[in-house]
Amino acid sequence: MSAPIFVRFWGTRGSIPTPGHKTRRYGGNTSCVEIHSAESELVCDGGTGLRELGLELLQRKQPPRSMHLFFSHMHWDHIQGFPFFVPAYAPENELTVYDPGSGRVEELLQGQMRSDYFPVNFNDLGAKIRTRHFDAQATRVDDFEVRCFEQAHPGRSFGYAFELGGKKIVYATDSELDRLLVNRDETERDPEKLRRLPSELVAFVAGADLLIADGQYTDAEYPKKVGWGHARASTVADLAHQGGVKQCALFHHDPLHSDELVDQKIAAARARLAAHGSSTLVFGAREGLELKF
Amino acid sequence: MSKSEPFDLEPTVAGDVSVVGGLALGEKLPTLEQVRGPGAPRRFPLAAVETVVGRGQQAHVTIESALLSRRHVLFRRHGPELSLVDLDSANGVFLNGVKAHAALLHEGDTIQVGDVVFVLHEAPA
Ligand SMILES: [Zn+2]
Ligand SMILES: [Zn+2]
Repeated sequence: MSAPIFVRFWGTRGSIPTPGHKTRRYGGNTSCVEIHSAESELVCDGGTGLRELGLELLQRKQPPRSMHLFFSHMHWDHIQGFPFFVPAYAPENELTVYDPGSGRVEELLQGQMRSDYFPVNFNDLGAKIRTRHFDAQATRVDDFEVRCFEQAHPGRSFGYAFELGGKKIVYATDSELDRLLVNRDETERDPEKLRRLPSELVAFVAGADLLIADGQYTDAEYPKKVGWGHARASTVADLAHQGGVKQCALFHHDPLHSDELVDQKIAAARARLAAHGSSTLVFGAREGLELKF
Repeated sequence: MSKSEPFDLEPTVAGDVSVVGGLALGEKLPTLEQVRGPGAPRRFPLAAVETVVGRGQQAHVTIESALLSRRHVLFRRHGPELSLVDLDSANGVFLNGVKAHAALLHEGDTIQVGDVVFVLHEAPA
């Protein structure tokens, strides 16, 4: 058996942090997922969940000295934890930031640390921070093989597939899947019908042990949110089913959703998958949950 | 030259002095209600900071089930938080139907280990 991969959710909320009793179970911190093996420390997005990850890394017996950060895009809810990521302050650490899109990732991280916004300047961070350009080709990152793909989101966003020892984890947040449908007319006539996604996207998630995907909205909400750049949970379920994904974590929960509403969203997605005769297990990403593959 | 962090690294635990074993005095104990499996129904209050459930003598809560590992799952209290960790069990730990390596727990969570099912109550009446 190959070395295990651990995936931990540090922030699962979309758009803005939502502290408070209504969101305790799924959590109020914004996007941050840790993927690590014995050799590698990879982080997907730097929402407010990144702050707690940084604190926890300090407590480990052997804190990682080299960390890799993959940003889906640079909207606030995906970068705001970065100035509070303690390992970025330690000179013995090395952070590699991946830039699949604009070539401006480092500039934008610096921007949110301008003195108007934050007391410490990006250039005064102790850690060695380097940017690595990233394209569609598979790239080796420590023991992982990583690919990226562009999604449907205002201002662009990227998903990532991480593979190690025959296991595959896909992180795909902030994507409006309904804008990509190849059978839109058909599914408008019959919403129960399987919504078909482009073959390149299906191939990207195909066979994943875990797909972490933006499933922000319910079917009832989505018509009012068209063009906002997020998916409805039902279409995520359809993508996961088409890709033969084993487990799908609905992610980027709407800030208006209480824990009970997230439960309902998941129940509806499960019912839809059952109607498709699918073997995919869908569940809600929740803060503090760690899976092992 | 690098600057240090403009924020505190040490978490502050409010009311430190009144905390005994991670739980404030007078607070109700989080409890595992066993609803299925050998010995059910019964309740296990999580009184200690760490509680190991398994079928072996080294476990704090012993359940006679061949589907459990000797030390199967650890429940840990940290201030008001309660978490679980799978102790590399043979059959895994399922939180609300999802195989979990570790998790923060909340009221009403269902935890399945082998043929044993618990429902967690954070502060039972
Ligand atoms: Zn977002
Ligand atoms: Zn966004």
